[in-house]
Amino acid sequence: MASQDGSTTLMDLISSDPASVPGNASSLPVLGKGAPEPPKASRKPGALQSVSAVAAESLSPARLLSPVKTSIVPIAKKKKPVSYSQLARSLHELAAAADQKSSSTQLVHQIFPKLAVYNSVDPSLAPSLLMLHQQSEDRQVLRYVYYYLARILSDSGGQGVAPGGGISTPNWDALADLNASGGVTRADVVPRVIEQLSKEAANADVEVHAKRVAALKALTYAPTSNDEVLNRLYEIVFGILEKVSDAGKVKRKKGMFGRQTIDKESAVRSNLQYAALSTLRRLPLDPGNPAFLHRAVQGIACADPVGVRHALAIVSELATREPYAVAMAVDKIALSGGTLQEVLQLHDVLARVYLARLCFILSRARVLDERPDIRSQYQTILYQLLLDPSERVCFEAIMCILGKFDSNERLEERAGGWVMLTTAILKFPDAPAPVSNSSQQAKDGAGVPSKAAKERPASRPRRPQALFKLVMRRLESAFRSPIRPVLHAAARVVQEMGKSRAAAYSLRGYAVDEDSHPDTLVDNASSDLANSELEQTDAEVPRNKVAPLSSASGGKESIHSMLSSLKEAVRTTVACECVYVRGAAIKALIWMQSPHESFDELKAIIAGELSDPSWPASLLNEILLTLHARFKATPDMAVILLELATLFATKVPGKIDSDVLQLLWKTCLLGCGPSGKHTALEAVTVVLDLPPPQPASMSTYHSNKRVMAADPKSALALQKLVQAAVWFLGENANYAASEYAWESVTPPGTALMMLDVDKMVAAASSRNPTLAGALTRLQRCAFGGSWEVRVVAAQALITIAIRSGEPYRMQVYEFLQALAQGASRHSSLEMATNGEDQGASGTGLSSILSPMIRLLDDVYKAQDELIRDMRNHDNKKQEWSDDELRKLYETHERLLDLVSLFCYVPRAKYLPLGPTSSTLINIYRNRHRIDASSGFNDPAVATGISDLLNSQLQYPPPMIEKDEPLVAGLSDGLWTGSTPAVDMVNEFLVGAGTDAPDVEEENALPRTSISYDDMWAKQLLEASENEDVELQSSGSSSPESVASYSTTTSSHFGGLGYPSLFGGSSTTNYSPWEKQLSSQPTGRVSNISMDLSSDQPPDYMGASRMGAQRQSDTFMGHSDSFDNLPDDMMGRVDDDYQPQETPQFGKALYDFTAGGDEELNLTAGEELEIEYEVDGWFHVRKRKPGRDGKISGLVPVLYVTS
Amino acid sequence: MLMCVLFTNTAGNILLERFQGVQAEERLHWRSFLVKLGTDNLSGAHNEELFVASHKSVYVVYTAIGDISVFVVGKDEYDELALAEVLYAITSCVKDICQKAPTERAFLDKYGRVCLCLDEIVFEGTLEHTDKDRIRRLARLKPIAD
Repeated sequence: MASQDGSTTLMDLISSDPASVPGNASSLPVLGKGAPEPPKASRKPGALQSVSAVAAESLSPARLLSPVKTSIVPIAKKKKPVSYSQLARSLHELAAAADQKSSSTQLVHQIFPKLAVYNSVDPSLAPSLLMLHQQSEDRQVLRYVYYYLARILSDSGGQGVAPGGGISTPNWDALADLNASGGVTRADVVPRVIEQLSKEAANADVEVHAKRVAALKALTYAPTSNDEVLNRLYEIVFGILEKVSDAGKVKRKKGMFGRQTIDKESAVRSNLQYAALSTLRRLPLDPGNPAFLHRAVQGIACADPVGVRHALAIVSELATREPYAVAMAVDKIALSGGTLQEVLQLHDVLARVYLARLCFILSRARVLDERPDIRSQYQTILYQLLLDPSERVCFEAIMCILGKFDSNERLEERAGGWVMLTTAILKFPDAPAPVSNSSQQAKDGAGVPSKAAKERPASRPRRPQALFKLVMRRLESAFRSPIRPVLHAAARVVQEMGKSRAAAYSLRGYAVDEDSHPDTLVDNASSDLANSELEQTDAEVPRNKVAPLSSASGGKESIHSMLSSLKEAVRTTVACECVYVRGAAIKALIWMQSPHESFDELKAIIAGELSDPSWPASLLNEILLTLHARFKATPDMAVILLELATLFATKVPGKIDSDVLQLLWKTCLLGCGPSGKHTALEAVTVVLDLPPPQPASMSTYHSNKRVMAADPKSALALQKLVQAAVWFLGENANYAASEYAWESVTPPGTALMMLDVDKMVAAASSRNPTLAGALTRLQRCAFGGSWEVRVVAAQALITIAIRSGEPYRMQVYEFLQALAQGASRHSSLEMATNGEDQGASGTGLSSILSPMIRLLDDVYKAQDELIRDMRNHDNKKQEWSDDELRKLYETHERLLDLVSLFCYVPRAKYLPLGPTSSTLINIYRNRHRIDASSGFNDPAVATGISDLLNSQLQYPPPMIEKDEPLVAGLSDGLWTGSTPAVDMVNEFLVGAGTDAPDVEEENALPRTSISYDDMWAKQLLEASENEDVELQSSGSSSPESVASYSTTTSSHFGGLGYPSLFGGSSTTNYSPWEKQLSSQPTGRVSNISMDLSSDQPPDYMGASRMGAQRQSDTFMGHSDSFDNLPDDMMGRVDDDYQPQETPQFGKALYDFTAGGDEELNLTAGEELEIEYEVDGWFHVRKRKPGRDGKISGLVPVLYVTS
Repeated sequence: MLMCVLFTNTAGNILLERFQGVQAEERLHWRSFLVKLGTDNLSGAHNEELFVASHKSVYVVYTAIGDISVFVVGKDEYDELALAEVLYAITSCVKDICQKAPTERAFLDKYGRVCLCLDEIVFEGTLEHTDKDRIRRLARLKPIAD
C-alpha cells in the first residue's frame, strides 16, 4: 500500500492538518462533532474509497473493485484525517481572514485540493466562496472559487446525480450548525451565485476578461431549466458575439497556440468569442431563430479552434432540423469566403469531425435539390476530409459517405452510401486544396492528436481520385497500425461498410458491379486534366503501395480485389491480443462475408477464437447479435449464419445467452423461406446433440464437438441452452415442417392403413423429413437429457402431437406411452441415454406424461366413436339428430379446451375429432348459430399464447419480430425500418405459411397413403354390409389400433439404440401389459408384426385392423396378452365387437368443488358413471350436466363410492 | 458524450472520477468494469500504451502512466479515436503537472491542480481543451491568448 512505502496517499491529502499551517493554528479547532468522516475514514488509508466508508454510493464500489483491500488495515496514520466539516470551517475562517496572502496560500495548498476529493460542495460554503470571489486577487484562489461555484450550481441536490465523482459529501444538515448564518440551502445561495457571476460575465473590461471567461463558464453549469438564468445567459452570450463580430474579422492565427501572433485586442476578442460559443453550445438549441443561426455560423470563422469546433457543432446540429436555412447561411458567410476550406486545416480534430457531419447533412439534404452547386461544394469538402491526417476525421467522413450518421439511418441511405463510395470521385477544387503530410499522418496514428498541419505552398492542380481506392488504402494502412483504438475503429468502419454493402445488395436499383475498376471512372473524369503532372501522385495517402492511378491500366484493381485485400487485412487483425479488437474484426468479417463466398475461413476463425477463454460473455453475445443483424440484412445467409451460431452453442455454451440464440433461431426460421426451414431446424437440433456436460462423456463422445462445460456453471448454462432448444423445437417444428393437423390432407385414419411397420415410418419420415427428424431428436431428449430437459421434451412432443396430423401424432402417442412405462424397461435404454444413468425411477415423468396421454386417449377415443357413429348413421341411412350433434359438438369443444391447455391451436380450424367431423360440427353450429371463433376466450388466448399466431389463424405469427424483438435492446437500425428482409419475412408469413414442403409433392409415398386410403374406403364399403366387420374397422383411428406395428417406431429408431421402447402401447391402466411386456423379448414382437405383414400381404390390412381393434379393446379396459397376440388377433377377427367396457357406476359421497377445468363439481349423492381411473382420480360422467354445464370430468377417487 | 473519466492507482483504487450522464447505480458497474479491465491488462503495459474496450455502443480507452491508470468512457461522437484524443490531453496534462510519469504520491500532491486541469479538458461531458499550454493558462486563470 502506498502509505506503507512512505508515499503520499489520497488519505494523506485529506489528513494533513490544515491547522498546522502557520498563522491559522488557532483557527482550526478539532471538530469531531457533527463530522462523520474521521473515525470511519481512518480505517483504510490509501485511496479514495478508503475514506468513502461513509458514503453509501462509494462504499460498495470500493469493495467491489478491490476486494483484497476490504480487510481493515490498522490505523497507520499519525494524523487524524481532516473532516469535511473541518475543511468547511477552515474555508469560512480563511475567507474572512485579514491576511490575504497567507490565507491564499493555505487555501490553494490545503483547503481547496482537499475539498476536491468530495463529490459535491455544500451550499453553506457559497457565502465564503462569494466573499473570496469579490475580495481575493490571487488568481489561483479565484480559479478554485470558480471551480467550486460551478459545482454548487451544477449540483442537482436531492437527485443524487452529482456530476463529479469522489467521496460523497456528508449530510449537509449535519453541517448546518457550522454556518454562522444558520442553515443555508441551495435555493438561498444559487441566485446569489448566479447574480454575482453574471455580473462578472457581463463586465466588458478588457483587463479582467480572463475572469469574465471563467465566470461565463461557471455560469454555464447553472440549471438551464430556469428561464431567468437562460435569458441572462443568452443576453451575455449574444452581447459578446455581437460585439466581436461588429469589430470585424479577427486576423486568423495559424496553427500554433499560446503564441502571441496577433494583437492583444484580437486576442481578447477571440477569447471572448470562444467563451461565448462554448456557452452557446451548452444552451438549448433555438431553431428558427435567425440570430442564433447567424452567430453560430459566424463562429466558424472564429480565430480560436475550439470556438470553431463549438460553432460547427451547433451548426451541424441545427442543420439536421433546418437544412435549408443552415445551408444558405453557411454558404453566405463561410463557404464562399473559403472559411470552411480553412477548417480542413484547423488544428482541432473534433472541429473537422463536425465539419464532416455538417457537410454530410447538407450534401444529402433534399431541400437543396434545387441547388446542386451548393450541394456539390459540401460534398467535395466531405470527400476531402477523407485525406485528413487524423483517422478520427477520415473515418467519420467514411461513415458519413456510407450513410451511417446516427442510429436512425434508412436502408436506402445505406445502400446509396455504398454506391457513392464505390463510384464517387474526389475532384479537387481550384481553391488551395487541403494537403496533409503523409509522414505526419503515419506518425500521428489516431490516438495522438495531429500536429499542426503544415502548410504547403500553393499546390498544383491534382488528379481526381476514386473515393473507393482512397478509402481502401486508408483502411489498409490503419490495419497496419500498432495502436489498438485505430484497429478497433478501422474494424468498425469495415463493419459499417459491410452493412451498407448488404443494404445495397438487398435493395433493387443499388447494384454495384464489384468487378468494375474505380480507376476507369477516374480516367474518364480526369480526361480534361490529362496534362496535369503525372508525378503529382496521391502523396497524402500514407504507405501507398499501389501504383499511381496514372500508371498502366494493367495495374488497376477492381472493387472486388480491393475488398478481398481489405478482408485479408481484417483477418490479420484477428491476431491482435486485445479481445475487443478481435471482436470488432470478427464482426467486420461477418458483415463483409458475401452470401456467395465460401465461409470456411470465417468459420475457422470463429471456431479458433471461441477456444480462447479470455472472451467475455457480453462480447460473444454481441457477436451473436451481429449474426442476427447480418441475417436480417441478408436472409439468404441463414444457413451460413446458423452454422456460425451453432459454433457458439457448441464451443461456449456457458457464455452465450440462450435468449439471444433463440432469437437468432427464430429469426432465421421465419425469414429463411420454405426451403431453408429444414436447415434452420437442423441447426437447433445440433444443440441437442451436444454431449451432456460430464467430463467422462466429453472424452468419449463427439471429440470434435467438445463442450467447454467442465465447470458447473457451464454445465448449467448448457442445460439451459438445451432446454431452450428443445422448447424451440417443440414450438416451431410444425411451422418448419409446414405440417398442421388442420391443414393435413390426410384423414387421421389413413395412417392406420399403413400398417406395415416399415412403410408407416418410411411414409412418415419421407413425407416430412423435417418433422420426423425433429421428433426423433425430441424423443432422444425425452430419454436422454437431464430431468428438466426431459420435461421440456415431453411438452414439446405433445405440442407436436397436437398440432400434427397422422402419423406423427400416433408416433408421439406411442412414444409417450412407452415413456410412461419406461421404468420397467430402462435397462434397454442404455444406448439412448447418452450414458446418463436414468435411475431406478425410470424417466420420472409420469406426472407430466399422464395428462398428455389422457388427452391423446380422449382424442382417439372420440375419433373412434365418431367414425362408428357415422358408420351407424350411414348404414341406417339416418340423419343425425340434434341431440347427437350436440353431443358431438360438446365432445369437440371439450377436446378443444383440453388441447388448448397444452399448446395453442387455432380453435376455429382445429378439429380434434378429425376432418370428417367438420361437416357435422358445422351443421350444428349453423343450426344453433354458434360462432366458431367463440372459443377465443380460451385460456391460451387469454394468456397471450395465441399472440404467437395472427388473427387470421395462419401459422406462424406475422411481424412479431418487426416491432417487438424478444430481447429488449436487441433491435438494431436495419431491422427497425421497412427493410426487404422484414418484408420478405412478412410476405412469407402472410403467403407461404400454409405451403406444403416441396418434398411432399415429389414423394411417392404420400400417394401410397392415398392408395391405402382407397383400400380403406373400399374395406369400409364392404364392411358396411357386415355388421361385425364394420364394427371392427370402426376402431381404426384409435391409437391402440397400431399395436401390431408398434415396433414400427422401434425399427425406425433402431439406429438410435432403443428398439424396445416402442414395443407396445396401452392406456393408463398399463399394469397387465407391463408385466407381460417386460417379460417379452421385444424383437419377437417386431418379428410377429413383420411376419404378419410380409407373409400375408393380402391380409395385412385385416390383421392390422384386428390389431387396432385389439388395442381399442385394451383401451377400453381389456388387457390382452402379448404372447398370444397373433392368435388373439386372428381369433378375434370373428368375434363380435365389444363396444365398451362394462360401465361402472358410483355415487358422490361428498360435495366437491372443481379446482380446474378438467375437474368436475360434485354434489353429494349424485349418481355417476365412472369411465376410468387415473392417479387417484376418477374420470366420471354425470347423467345430466351440472349447473356449470359440465357433464364429465375428474373427481377424487375418495369422493365416490364405486 | 464523454461519460466517464477515471483515475486509479496500480492496485485498482479509484483516485479521481468524473461521471456525466451516468446514473449512480450504473456507476458501480462502470467502476468495477474499468478496474477489472485495468487489473487484467495494464500490468506490464508500456507508459501511455493505449488499450481499447467496448460494450455495445460505448467505448473505453485506457492507459497507464506511471503509477496511475486513466480510463475514459464515451459514446456517440466520442468513439475510441476521439477518446484517445481525450486521453492524450489528460495524460499530457498530468505529465505536465507531475513532471514525467507520475507516482501515486506526486499525483496526490497535485490533486487540486489535476482537478482544475481536468475541469478544462472535460466540460459537462464534452472535450473542451486539448492543448497543454491552453490548459495550463486556463487553470491559472490567465487568458487563453493575449
